[in-house]
Amino acid sequence: MANIVRVNPGLGEEVQRFGADDVAKCYHCGNCSATCPMSKEPFLIPRKSMRYLQMGADERLRGNLEPWLCYYCGECSDQCPRGAEPGETMMSLRRWLTAQYDFTGISRLFYRSAAVEVGAVVVLGLLTGIGFYLAGTYLGGGDLNIYDGPRAFLPAYGKGGSFFSFGGVHTFDWAMGVLLAGLLGINCLRMWYFTMFNDQAPKVGIGAYISKLWVLPWHFISQRRYSECDKKTPWLVHLIMMLSYLTMLILIMFFLHSVHYGPEIVWQAHAFGYLATVGLLFGTVYAMYGRANKVNTYHKHSHASDWLFPVLIFYCAVTGIAQHIAHRTGFPALANVIYIIHMMGVVPMLVLEVPFGKWSHLAYRPLAIYFAEVQSPALLAQARARQSAPATARAA
Amino acid sequence: MSELKIGVYVCNCGTNIAKTVDCDAVVQAVQALPGVAVAKSYKYMCSNPGQEMIDKDIKELGLNRVVVAACSPRMHEPTFRKALDSAGLNPYYLEMANIREQNSWVHEDGAACTQKAIDLARAAVRRVALHEPLEKRSVPMCTSVLVLGGGVTGLTAALELADANQSVFLVERDDHLGGNVARIDLTAPHLDSARDLLRDRIARVTTHPKIKVLLGSELVGLSGYIGNFKPLVRVGGQEQELEVGAVVVCTGYQEFDAKKVKNLGYGSLPDVVTSFDLERMLRAGRIATRAGKAPRYVSLIHCVGSRSEEHHPYCSRVCCMTALKYAHEIKSMLPDAYVSDLYIDMHAFGKGCEDFYKSGAELHTMFLMYRKNQPPQVRLADPKDGFGMLIALQEQLSGESIEIPADLVVLMVGMEPRADAAEVAHLVNISRDKDGWFIESHPKLDPVATTTDGIFIAGACQAPKDIPDSVAQARAASARILAKIAQGKIWVDAVYAEIDEERCCGCRMCGEVCPYSAIEYNPATRRSTVVSVLCKACGTCAATCPAGAIKARHFSDRQIFAQIAGLLEGQGGGLTKGAK
Repeated sequence: MANIVRVNPGLGEEVQRFGADDVAKCYHCGNCSATCPMSKEPFLIPRKSMRYLQMGADERLRGNLEPWLCYYCGECSDQCPRGAEPGETMMSLRRWLTAQYDFTGISRLFYRSAAVEVGAVVVLGLLTGIGFYLAGTYLGGGDLNIYDGPRAFLPAYGKGGSFFSFGGVHTFDWAMGVLLAGLLGINCLRMWYFTMFNDQAPKVGIGAYISKLWVLPWHFISQRRYSECDKKTPWLVHLIMMLSYLTMLILIMFFLHSVHYGPEIVWQAHAFGYLATVGLLFGTVYAMYGRANKVNTYHKHSHASDWLFPVLIFYCAVTGIAQHIAHRTGFPALANVIYIIHMMGVVPMLVLEVPFGKWSHLAYRPLAIYFAEVQSPALLAQARARQSAPATARAA
Repeated sequence: MSELKIGVYVCNCGTNIAKTVDCDAVVQAVQALPGVAVAKSYKYMCSNPGQEMIDKDIKELGLNRVVVAACSPRMHEPTFRKALDSAGLNPYYLEMANIREQNSWVHEDGAACTQKAIDLARAAVRRVALHEPLEKRSVPMCTSVLVLGGGVTGLTAALELADANQSVFLVERDDHLGGNVARIDLTAPHLDSARDLLRDRIARVTTHPKIKVLLGSELVGLSGYIGNFKPLVRVGGQEQELEVGAVVVCTGYQEFDAKKVKNLGYGSLPDVVTSFDLERMLRAGRIATRAGKAPRYVSLIHCVGSRSEEHHPYCSRVCCMTALKYAHEIKSMLPDAYVSDLYIDMHAFGKGCEDFYKSGAELHTMFLMYRKNQPPQVRLADPKDGFGMLIALQEQLSGESIEIPADLVVLMVGMEPRADAAEVAHLVNISRDKDGWFIESHPKLDPVATTTDGIFIAGACQAPKDIPDSVAQARAASARILAKIAQGKIWVDAVYAEIDEERCCGCRMCGEVCPYSAIEYNPATRRSTVVSVLCKACGTCAATCPAGAIKARHFSDRQIFAQIAGLLEGQGGGLTKGAK
């Protein structure tokens, strides 16, 4: 039996800082859940989350997977008779949950204050630039030839040019990757604990976790659940964006020697790189144009974090293209300078966004779908038992 | 007496009657009866051509009695009486046989039904032969009006009547005017000041030359009848008899005693207060706990005493919007306070109220729904909690058992009839419903009149009501009275009971059974008499009188026996015979 919930009347104000401005207007007609194509037993989104938020049931909300099962098509907000913006509320709850999962508390600072988040990006970007400059000055013997040329202090590839002969930059990449994965991993473990071990979560065996494991990679790659929304365009754009990002990540982490080897073009690798770059530019421009002109319901409300993520990716893509052109057309000195400018965007984006910001939804969404699938049979059985309980009592 | 010439008219009522009753057979059967000059059937007797047919026959054939076999007399007796009247025949020479509600609508067997219609028509023919010409009478009307209660309803009624140049006596028990409205701060949903609403009315009432305000007074007796009431009013220990033509009862309501609800803590926990306690704080401009601190968490609990099996089953109508008003007022006085609103159903039915509900939600009022008959429970919190109390409830929209912090709990106490409502009802001779509210003459079509002519009810003494509805009723009652005054006199129906003083033994049993207090006893002569203006001709006294001294006009023994004889004369196996 579920415990008594002691409500926190201040929760509404707290989540308002994450963007949920209109949730108080909801009077629970249920139009949102009726119109949502994702709303199926046992996860009736978005009304239940709206109610928990209005009531200040913060522990229930923290253990709630439902915000991650919504992709904000905006249908519910369009149908809401009171302008309670359920879609935006779910979006705000995802931000709030991200802050709840984050054990460092940094995420909460970022989401509650745009100034802090943007300031952190700028400061880390400048530190990165200064770091490269100083490294070049002292390690590189006074020039900025970082990865190119005979005196490169962080060569992109080691001797022999093979995958295992890591260059300096690559070492740096992997060290950062391990650190960020560690931070994000801890947050994911917290998410698992909050959502799978609360007084409402059913007990599930290891077998359920194993039998549903396929859900994780499948939904990550295909974004299958997103495609169940009535509107298909957002899914397609998001899929292109995600696949482009993933391609770029794989190229950099595993095929850096190919993509950086130069100046000649390695078509086997670069073809993927070009496609991914186009995809990233398309996706980010689509998102920024949509938000600037409030094209769709889901573009209507823009939190600072909604802007920062596409802007940073766009910045990295554009500076990456410039660096690539300079590098391949015989301007190694210029290429090295642009590389520093490029890294001034890449480092803050990854360090700040992966564990603490919007990037983390790459992990939380598939995990939520996975956990939901694991819980689902037990929750459905519970619901059936509740429904048939009175009949059994009558028979007895 | 001249020769009997009875006209019998059998109505088809479209197919309502003709579907089961052979109307032509009825016509043929009654035609043969002695005294019947003409018998006809027609599609709709109540239509203009139907009435014209009666009119023409009276004039051309010299009819002196009319029987209409059609629907219930409650439906169209006035219509056909008017038809007789306009043809120059005394309207009481009409008798109706109900062959629709009591026949065609309730039976299926056509042959038996036709026989029953014949029996009923024959009974009517026999009865109408003995009808007497009766005349309506009029009595003069006193144009002064007594208004009972000086709340917003009474003030409005008094002003409405006085502005139409009628004298008004305004009886108010308190030493000031304003009633319950004078106890509240702002009004919902427009947040207008209640004081402003009253100030102007009270000033006008107290200075109006046609209104006599009797503060600290109460009604102790009422005799007479419409147009000629003699209220006895006690003012400052002295009794005073007034003369008025009508009475408007606007005695209002009292609030439910919240101590009666268990587990809410009213009376035992210092910071559980009623809505009227909060009004006092709002009027003083400071909301505070008993310890003198500004509350951080304020909870409003709806339906205290209302909509419950244990207390009052009805809805008090004003509390939902009043609670929303509190949410607005508290948020404006204490912007940092968290307001929660625990309701069963949110009744936002009035003009502008749905918007008010929405704006209440936009203030971040936390709305929590509890189940009827499962009221929330209030208890003291742990001192370490940092707030005063905890309210536990089963929240219906989420299905969760929850606890909510509270520093100040406001109980929205419902309305109930005043403690002396039974006494007042008895004084002015009106009835009360199962909940104790005064009963109107008709819930939809006659909402301010009562079963006693000349006594009107308005405002929250009739049922829980908000200010606009109360004011509308006050004006409606005034309009009804002004309409009667405009006629100049009171018309009395010709049908009433009469007591034969020779046969009356003065046992007073009739006076005890009369539901309209229409029988007076004269101790000097030791005889009872009927005040014909008050009599509604129900016949109870006539049936009760052991001496057979009471005769109901238009329902004489001879007439009734003739009717019975007419019913039993039939030879066929009609339904009336079977029922015998």
